[in-house]
Amino acid sequence: MPRKAKDNEEIKNTKKSTPSTKTLNSKKVETSKKSANKKETTSASTKKKETQTTSKSTKTKKASTSSKTAKKETSKKSTKASTTRKKQTRPAINEYYDLPEKYNQTVVKVLAQTPKTLFIYWEISDNDIENYKKQYGENFFETTRPVLIIHNDNLNYSFEVEINDFANSWYLHINDSKSNYRIELGRRPINIHSEIKSDYIYIASSNKIESPNDHILFNTSQKMIYFRNIKTQQEIQKPISSLSFIRNMGKIYDIYDIYKELYKNENDFNNLSNPSSHISSQFK
Amino acid sequence: MQQKKGYVSFVLHAHLPFIHHPESDDYLEESWLYEAISETYIPLLTNFQKLVDEGVDFRITMSMTPPLLSMLDNKLLQRKYIKYLKKLIDLSEKEVIRTAGDERLNKLSHYYLDRYSNDLHLFKDVYKCDLISQFKHFQDIGVLEIITCGATHGYFPILYVNEKTVKAQIAVGVQTYERYFGRKPRGIWLPECGYVPEADKYLKEFGIDYIITESHGILYADPTPIYGTYSPIVSPEGVVAFGRDMESSRQVWSSINGYPGDFNYREFYRDIGYEADYDYIKPYIAHNGVRVHTGIKYHRITGKTEYKDYYDLQWAMDSAQKQAGHFLDCRTNQINDIASVMDKPPIILCPYDAELYGHWWYEGPYWLYILFKKIYYDDCNFQLITPSEYIDKYPEIQVASPCRSSWGANGYSEVWLNQTNDYAHKHLHVAGDRMCELAYNYPYAKGLKKKALNQCARELLLAQSSDWLFIITNGTMVDYAKKRIKDHIGRFNKLYYQIKNDEIDEDFLKDISKKDCVFPDIDYNLYR
Repeated sequence: MPRKAKDNEEIKNTKKSTPSTKTLNSKKVETSKKSANKKETTSASTKKKETQTTSKSTKTKKASTSSKTAKKETSKKSTKASTTRKKQTRPAINEYYDLPEKYNQTVVKVLAQTPKTLFIYWEISDNDIENYKKQYGENFFETTRPVLIIHNDNLNYSFEVEINDFANSWYLHINDSKSNYRIELGRRPINIHSEIKSDYIYIASSNKIESPNDHILFNTSQKMIYFRNIKTQQEIQKPISSLSFIRNMGKIYDIYDIYKELYKNENDFNNLSNPSSHISSQFK
Repeated sequence: MQQKKGYVSFVLHAHLPFIHHPESDDYLEESWLYEAISETYIPLLTNFQKLVDEGVDFRITMSMTPPLLSMLDNKLLQRKYIKYLKKLIDLSEKEVIRTAGDERLNKLSHYYLDRYSNDLHLFKDVYKCDLISQFKHFQDIGVLEIITCGATHGYFPILYVNEKTVKAQIAVGVQTYERYFGRKPRGIWLPECGYVPEADKYLKEFGIDYIITESHGILYADPTPIYGTYSPIVSPEGVVAFGRDMESSRQVWSSINGYPGDFNYREFYRDIGYEADYDYIKPYIAHNGVRVHTGIKYHRITGKTEYKDYYDLQWAMDSAQKQAGHFLDCRTNQINDIASVMDKPPIILCPYDAELYGHWWYEGPYWLYILFKKIYYDDCNFQLITPSEYIDKYPEIQVASPCRSSWGANGYSEVWLNQTNDYAHKHLHVAGDRMCELAYNYPYAKGLKKKALNQCARELLLAQSSDWLFIITNGTMVDYAKKRIKDHIGRFNKLYYQIKNDEIDEDFLKDISKKDCVFPDIDYNLYR
């Protein structure tokens, strides 16, 4: 339940973000050229970096949040006083973490943000990068451009989106809700005369997801309605024509349209302020 | 007495993220729990008790999430809550003196002094610091049904990329419930009402009968449910899904014309923490001198104006009574309309955040008390019911697959997946995969390794809280939420390598196990 304590928080947690988190958040990765060089230099240390982040960055962090650490020290004394049961206190373990920039895996993952928007993120491992270079030449990542191929497995169509090497994630508009999607990451040569023979190089495939449904289905061809007695597990089917009240179903559903219209502007991001849901704190 | 034509079911979702900082007193975020105890949980308990004492037969359902249960059960947080109350009482005493010259203000300051003193008495002497047993008591006598939630409120539509992480959220949710309530939960509040059909098989595996979904979880189901949200549906896997009733939900929390906006109600944002003289209030605000809410608020909403009149308890109670009457009339009419076009009694399901009642809407618990009394004594056409009772009474349910949905803004995943927080998801996914890898590789770990593996599971679960993503979207307390994701992912990854390299740092493990002490009985083999 965070209050409108914005100002407090900003003061309390004085700018903690380090440059590295900034790059992470803005989700930019270096251009393929730069990143290739960088990767070479960092690839060996990537794993280490992950394990060592804590110890390595503690120092810098300490400096930047000295006031906070100082506070911690003093407050510890006061907690010690109040929790006299535990007399022995070990020296505090200084912790500071940054999120790893890469996990060194080749992966494409897709999530549905809305019925019509997919979120896709990807990464290519250093090993695979080296392999592609071995196979297609040192300049593989400069002579090809990345693409995402979106497969709709229900309606059996695919389309392609050109992306770029600055990004490692993408929001993608799709046309069909309630459909199964799969995403493929690949690369296409920029010029045909390059050493690459094929016009497409497959890199990785994503998980499969179904985009959510976004409308009342009202299947008019449906003749039967299925019921289950959840105590006996017995299934019963009733022909729609036998349910006399069914002609009123429209009446039930009409209500929802009225409410949707009435409250259409209320789900506003700016109105959110309870972490457990979306309760508006602006009651006025 | 008129025949009952239908049912109304109130479901209050009580949840707070796990916030526990034995290392420091400086985290303002810990006070969310104390405020919720004073403003929501104790008022709900006292109003339930009043209803029982007055012989009112009522039904209410509450989800109490595992992190909330863990915090309520935490000795350190219990002590800190008492300390918090004592400070508030101290401030209230000073306020009684300070406001002596103003009769209206002075009456209010006496009210706060009484109220917080009573909280302390109840919490320490009556409840013996054990709020969970108090809620359990109402479940045991049959007026309250408590349901569970995902272990740390992890949002399934993001986690299910690795289904085992969803399974673990469900498993730990069920286990935590059993630990505190001595039986299995029949229902679960899906975190953020985030529904994915992939979770059904795990819900069944852990004995869950029913879930709560947002309205369109039912309305957009396949095939279209013939009763809309006025009856549950059952998924092909056998999970019963109830849908939120739009009309009644909106009536309560609509930001435009919802009940909590009544001009006589207490104004949340006018708090002496911000308004009192700085030197005077300094001992009662944040340690670093930043002004925060104290819980002593003297004004009413008054109107769409900067000028705020003093709060008047009697006026506020009058408004609550009026609104309870309005709610009752609306449900009566709604049930009349709907029952006439249905061949079984409709159920109107009204789910809300528990913390809306009392914390945000100060008069909410009183409103509920009055409403339940009215429903019992007025000759109305419906009665209160819990979802379990409804499905036991009407077990024949239409088979349909609920729609993937959530109760967040716009109904899908935008709140927990957008450009402000999408950097976090790959870390959650990788940590989930790594946890499964560890569980697979070390199935029979013992001693220190087992401890480390179990702590990995705790770190993963804590990182998965939907709260961090929500807070980042929401734009308040963002640094804290980002830090929590970094800390849990950081601790997880550090331990992951330590386990793999067989070089577990015992001091480090002890330190983080003390901080992140949620789910003491967890078994990492859940991830196998």
